[in-house]
This record gives sequence, C-alpha cells and structure tokens, in this order.
Amino acid sequence: MDNSAGQASNEGGNPDKNQWYTLALKYAKHYAGKVEVLPKVPITGLKDFSYWYTPGVAAVSMEISKNKDLSFELTGRWNTIAVVGDGSRVLGLGNIGGEAALPVLEGKALIFKYLGGVNAVPIPLGTQDAARVKQTVMALEPAFGGINLEDIESPKCFQILDDLRSSMNIPVWHDDQQGTAGASLAALINALKLTDRRLADTVIVLFGSGAANIATARLLIAAGADPGKLVLVDSKGVLHAEREDMDELMLKHPLKYELGIKTNKIGVRGGVEEALKGADVLIAASKPGPGVIKKEWVSKMNHDSIVFALANPTPEIWPWEIREAGARIIATGRSDFPNQVNNSLVFPAVFRGALDSRCRTITDSVVIAAAEELAAFAEEKGLRDDYIIPTMEEWEVYPRVAAAVASKLVEEGLARRNLTKREFYEQAQMIISKSRFIVERSMEMGYIEPLPGDD
Amino acid sequence: MIRVVDESKGFRIRAATRGDMEQIVKLILRLKKLNEEFDPLLKVSEEASADAEKTCREALETKKESYVVLVAEDKDRIIGVIMAEIRRRPFYEPKVSGVITDFYVMPEHRRKKLGENLVRKATEELKKKGAGVIMAEFPFQNKIASSFYQKLGFRAVVGIFGKEE
Repeated sequence: MDNSAGQASNEGGNPDKNQWYTLALKYAKHYAGKVEVLPKVPITGLKDFSYWYTPGVAAVSMEISKNKDLSFELTGRWNTIAVVGDGSRVLGLGNIGGEAALPVLEGKALIFKYLGGVNAVPIPLGTQDAARVKQTVMALEPAFGGINLEDIESPKCFQILDDLRSSMNIPVWHDDQQGTAGASLAALINALKLTDRRLADTVIVLFGSGAANIATARLLIAAGADPGKLVLVDSKGVLHAEREDMDELMLKHPLKYELGIKTNKIGVRGGVEEALKGADVLIAASKPGPGVIKKEWVSKMNHDSIVFALANPTPEIWPWEIREAGARIIATGRSDFPNQVNNSLVFPAVFRGALDSRCRTITDSVVIAAAEELAAFAEEKGLRDDYIIPTMEEWEVYPRVAAAVASKLVEEGLARRNLTKREFYEQAQMIISKSRFIVERSMEMGYIEPLPGDD
Repeated sequence: MIRVVDESKGFRIRAATRGDMEQIVKLILRLKKLNEEFDPLLKVSEEASADAEKTCREALETKKESYVVLVAEDKDRIIGVIMAEIRRRPFYEPKVSGVITDFYVMPEHRRKKLGENLVRKATEELKKKGAGVIMAEFPFQNKIASSFYQKLGFRAVVGIFGKEE
C-alpha cells in the first residue's frame, strides 16, 4: 500500500507528505506569516492623514452613525471577512487550540485573497465554549462583510452556524460544512449527467457523518434528492429511525437525528457493506485510508456507479482500486488525481459574490446555485469520466461562480446591492485579477521574496 | 376494549395484551436508555431487561387492576407504549392518582399527535379506575417531556432531588 501511495504521488510530480511538512515548516520560519495588511490609499506626506485619519475621518464616522449600511460604502468592510476558528477540530489533527489553528486560518486567508480577491482576517479564538464562540463572533459584526467559520468540531458547529446565520446581518459560512457540500454537489450533478441518472431517483450512500457529510445530506435534499434514498453510515453502521442511539442523537446531535428519521426509507440495515449493495453513489468523507472502504464492497454497487472518496490526505480507498471494483466515475479530495472535489473551488467565489452583492446571509439555494455554475463550467469545457468538476487552475471559474451567487442573492432578496449578472461578473473578474496581479508584481519587485533554496 | 383508529395517520391505539410483552419490553428499555442521558443517577442497570419484563408481567397479568397499559400499533408493529399505575395518595385530595411511569414513541412516529392521543386515552382509562388526578414521572432535565406535558395542561407538582452518597 505504501508503495502504491508513493507511486501515485510521484506520478503528479508531487513530494510526499513528509516532504510537504519539511517545506511548510521551513517556509513558515522564513516568511513568518502568509498575509499582511497593506495601505490602499496614496500617502505622499503626513498631511494626508488629516483625511485618512483625524480630523477628517470624523465626517465619515458621522455619516455611518446615521446609516450603518454606509460602512459598506465608506470603509473596507464590503470586502473584508473574518476567518474564525476555535481550534477544536483542525484538519485531521483534532483539538489543538487557537494558536495552533492560526497557520491554517492564515492559509485560508491567503486562498481567499488569491482566488477570490477577498481580504480575510484570520481570527483564532481563545475559547471553545459554543455560547462564547457565538457571542464573540456576533460582536465582530461591525468590522466585517462576512464570517467564515473554520475547523470547529461537530456537532457543535451545526448549532453555531445555524444560530449565527439567523442572528447576524452578514453572511456566515462554515466551510467544513457548506464548502465541501457545495463541491460534492457540483461533482455529483455532472456524474449523474454522465451516467444518465436523475438526482431524485438516485440511491446515495454517505459514509462518515461528520460536518461535511451531514451538510452534504442536507444540501442534497435541498437540491432535490429523495431523502428516503439517502443512506448515512457512521462508525455505528447504517443510520435509521430505529437505531438504538436515536434518542441520544435527538439530545446531542439534533440534525443527525432529523436525518435519521427522514433518510433511509429503503430500509437498509447493517454497515457500509450492506448499504453499498445496489447503491448508485457513494460519497465517503470519513477517515483517511487506504483500506477504510474495501474493493469488494464497491463491486456490489449498481452498474455505472459513482464513488467519491474524499478523506484527506489519503482517500478511504485508492482510485485505482475503485476502478478495479467496477465503478465508473471516481473523485477524491486530492489534486494529484483527476476529479478533485475541493472546497477551494467554492468558498472564494461564494464570498466574492456574497460581498459584491453586500448580502445579509447565504442560503442553501445560493450554495446550490454555486454548485450548478461550477458544474455548468465543466460541462461547457466537455464532460468526461475524469473531468466532472473544474480544477483550481481554471481560475476563470471563480468570477463565473461569484456572479451566479450574487445574482441568486439578488433574486432571493438577500442582497443590499442590485447589479446585473454581467456587472457582477465584471466586478468579480476585476477584483480577482487585481488580487493576482498584485501578488505577481510584488514578487517581480522582490517585495515578496522568492522561496528560500536549500541552505 | 379500547380502540382508537386513526387510519389517516396509519396507527391505532389499543389496550396491551400479554402477546405484546416482548415488544413493550424493548420500548421500555429504549425509554430507560433515554432517561440515562439526563442524569448519572438514572444509569440503566444490567438487570433492566429482567426488571422491564417483571413490571410488564405485573401490569398485564398479576396486578392488572392497578395498571393501564396502552400500545400504538402501525401494521402489527408496536410503535408506542404508555404504562400508568393507580396509586393511593395519603394526606391529599383527590385520594387516587393515575401515574404515567413509562411512555415511549418510536422516533419515526413522533410529532404526529400520537403521544398526545396515548396520554388522552390513558387518562380516560385511569379515570375509569378511579383516578382523580393524572401525574407523569420523567427525568427532571427532560425538557422535551416537560414541554409536552405542559402543552397538555399539566404543571410541575412535586420534585424529586437526588445526590450520590
């Protein structure tokens, strides 16, 4: 297994995990941080501060005090979000605390800026108590045009997201839920097209019931999947309305309890193996493999089956094993295999569209619109079994998705700013290209230093 | 013979019989497991299954005059149960109470007024056996039960506090 892993990684010319670790540590030491705040107004002398700061700035404050929404026009709020985490579930590392979560939040902020043109401020919190997390995030509202929650453990993350979404007047997003769910839906839309299936008739097994798959189940239902044909599987086996731990779930994980009641009307019992018999689709977001899902199980699926093995850094089962087991369409979470289901395709664009429309919240139908646009982009390029979702290199996809998101927000009456889809697209394209241009120029000018070589 | 048929919702309520015992025991054990979630002093014991059978036997056979046990059925499957006991109330008026001790509806069949119907039917039967007041026992922290009974007009009357020693 280890040999095959090495081979797979080297095929894409990528170093293995240990080499990534070494490089990341070396670069972190060299650069000491991945993002910083830069001025965006001219300064020719200290007198300029008389309008950027006191006394002139008081006039701007007074205007905003009369109409808070003007903070979106007269300050950088319109393009600034907080990337907030409590360090309770960082990557696959578990509960490692706020300081240790900071490198991840910084990385996220970097991607937000580079792919979405969004100014993202990393904010790890010094508390993991759900009520205090909520209070703190709510108190941040005046500073930001949106909130991206990151690496907060399940099931706490569900209530935090739902409560913040309903109580704040800016969009709140939990990427581990919505980002992953949006990317999975986009890939699934195209996989269903290629295999001539309709979402409402498809039997979908969701293996692993952490934040990603619980959110995926919710989103699939919102997008038109038949809840009765969804089968969730967790460490205790297939979820169903009569499972012994349903009452415990009712108290501790209400969303999963709801899904336990609504899903699996086809009456599947047992474990993942039983669930896969005759199933059309498997979406696994459980724990790093290989060997978590067995070939024999996949081989019992319906013909032309679709398998997404999304665990990182190694999928639950290697793509070539999925192929050997007879599945037709295969996706993973990795960039060195075809069909990467990657939330980085979703969140920069969703926030670009959300910010450009100055929206108040992001609903499920907005996430669905983003997924549909991602899927449409790949379809226009030409769908193949190994191309069901755009890659991160196809950067033109970001303004496209941003415009789809912004237009949907206008349509739903959630936007503060009403432009045409074309205008939203042009604005997104302009901001994103500017962001990339600034990085390129800063590198040319040596302000951003080249990567350090071997010492 | 009690029989409430609500065909529209696909279930019917009837008095429990000895033949129902096995299924009732299972529901009672699910209830006790749920109770366990609310307080460590409600930890389910190893003999819980035998205890449930014993209680059922009393309620359905040896002391059935002091009990009311109703089940809700959906196509021959028992999906809900309510067990209540006639208890004397020394010192107080009214002198006889009907106490709901065990009450469970399978998750899939909740929120369809089934629980409400079970309580109403049980109340009727308890009144026939002389109960002048209906009481319900459940874990103090069970907010769901508390709001359910409040909706039906019940209020908190006595409390039982506990402490490990």
